[in-house]
Amino acid sequence: MQIFYRIGKNAIERIRVLYGVFRLSAVSVGSFASLLGKTNMANRIVFLRQIYFTGFEAIPIISWLATILGIVIVTQTLNILPLVGSDAIIGEILVWVLVREAGPVFASVIVIARSGTAIAAELGSMRISRETIALEVMGINLTGYLIAPRILGTAVSTFVLTFYFEGISVLGGYLLAGLGKSITFSAYITSILGAMGLLEVGVSLLKSVLFGLIIGSVCAYHGLKAEKSITQIPQKTTAAVMGSLSLIFSLNAIITFVFYF
Amino acid sequence: MAGLIEFKNVCLSMEDGRPIFDDACISLKAGERILLTAPVASGKSDFVRLIAGLRRPEGGALNILGVDLAVCGAEELTAVRVRMGFVFQENILISNLRVIENVALPLLYHLGQSYEAHMEAAERLLLRAGFRGDPWAMPGPLPLYVKKEVAVARALALSPQIVVCENLTEAMTGSEKESLCALLVDYHEAEPDRLLVFTADDAGDAALLRPSRRMEIRDFRFAE
Repeated sequence: MQIFYRIGKNAIERIRVLYGVFRLSAVSVGSFASLLGKTNMANRIVFLRQIYFTGFEAIPIISWLATILGIVIVTQTLNILPLVGSDAIIGEILVWVLVREAGPVFASVIVIARSGTAIAAELGSMRISRETIALEVMGINLTGYLIAPRILGTAVSTFVLTFYFEGISVLGGYLLAGLGKSITFSAYITSILGAMGLLEVGVSLLKSVLFGLIIGSVCAYHGLKAEKSITQIPQKTTAAVMGSLSLIFSLNAIITFVFYF
Repeated sequence: MAGLIEFKNVCLSMEDGRPIFDDACISLKAGERILLTAPVASGKSDFVRLIAGLRRPEGGALNILGVDLAVCGAEELTAVRVRMGFVFQENILISNLRVIENVALPLLYHLGQSYEAHMEAAERLLLRAGFRGDPWAMPGPLPLYVKKEVAVARALALSPQIVVCENLTEAMTGSEKESLCALLVDYHEAEPDRLLVFTADDAGDAALLRPSRRMEIRDFRFAE
């Protein structure tokens, strides 16, 4: 009986977290238009700073990792080309691997490691030091100022970083691993463009935006759950990372299944 | 004349059920300067939390600027909070914002004019509060008194009608107390409709604050 109680309690807790995360995402998306207007400068500053930190400052590490992954994938693909007997398949393989799957997932993992952890720790720290109360008594809406700009900034950054990751891995991979091999650069690009349709771009876009929203929402949710002690901050940060990873890998599988099965 | 802050038979208790306020009544009017004294853990912080709308009374009515905080919605509460300035005992500053940004935050959030204009206004407020450090420094390493200067500057940013200072002079030297109290008294006297409320453990700094009314919390109620 005890085990059913535990399973049930665990399930209810997970549903509660998912509902909280979904609610934060929905409220943030709803407030997107107000960030672009001139009405609330404070919120817009938080939004732009989040994009700077999550998007712009991640470019060096994203470039480095995308190039390395590109080298690995291009090297392996070029190795199997003689077995298949057709150069045209290189585009298919790279689009399947890098654009459909690795791009959105790898970019998201980097965003979780850099920015998700920072969001959870920062919000947790603000909660414990009662800074959230100071904001409230100034008449500042916590969701509008503290949470939504971070979530939306993370979503916009993840979207941009995903396409950047895909571009760098495809181009960098060829330049470092494929140059001078059996396939010319023009044949390589033609093959990739031939394999990449609207569906691939659209699904990659959908994944990147959803993953960004999830990372921001999960990390903000867990960060704000820290209330009593500073020792809760690393616990909540770990919960945020694990929660983001679980949701992103699950959602990636679901989207792939829905669009490509 | 109705008070800007009115407690009508307000009841409030701790989590374990012990009373904090029991049928407490008080009316604080425009133009008054109040010094509310009570020993530690006898309801001063709860009084501030009630006024700030961070807690709702369990019984009675609590009117601030004509709005009953016991039943009002979020928008009404925000409108009331914009007309009040709080200086908490812990000087809570926003740790990821620079000193000047802490002061400019309410201006940027509520007024939405040009960024430069708000930053200049924030700098003027800091100077008026006696701040002489780097306004672009992060607030974390600042000494306690300097944090208090920044907190006071922020509390006055929107020219609030009600200013509430919780244990303002605690852990400050004589000259520091004098300077901040003079600033707040000047602010209060600049307009006739302003209300200034100080809470303190004792009336030791009454000479600096020159209150028009002195009150105490005694037996879970307010006493003159």
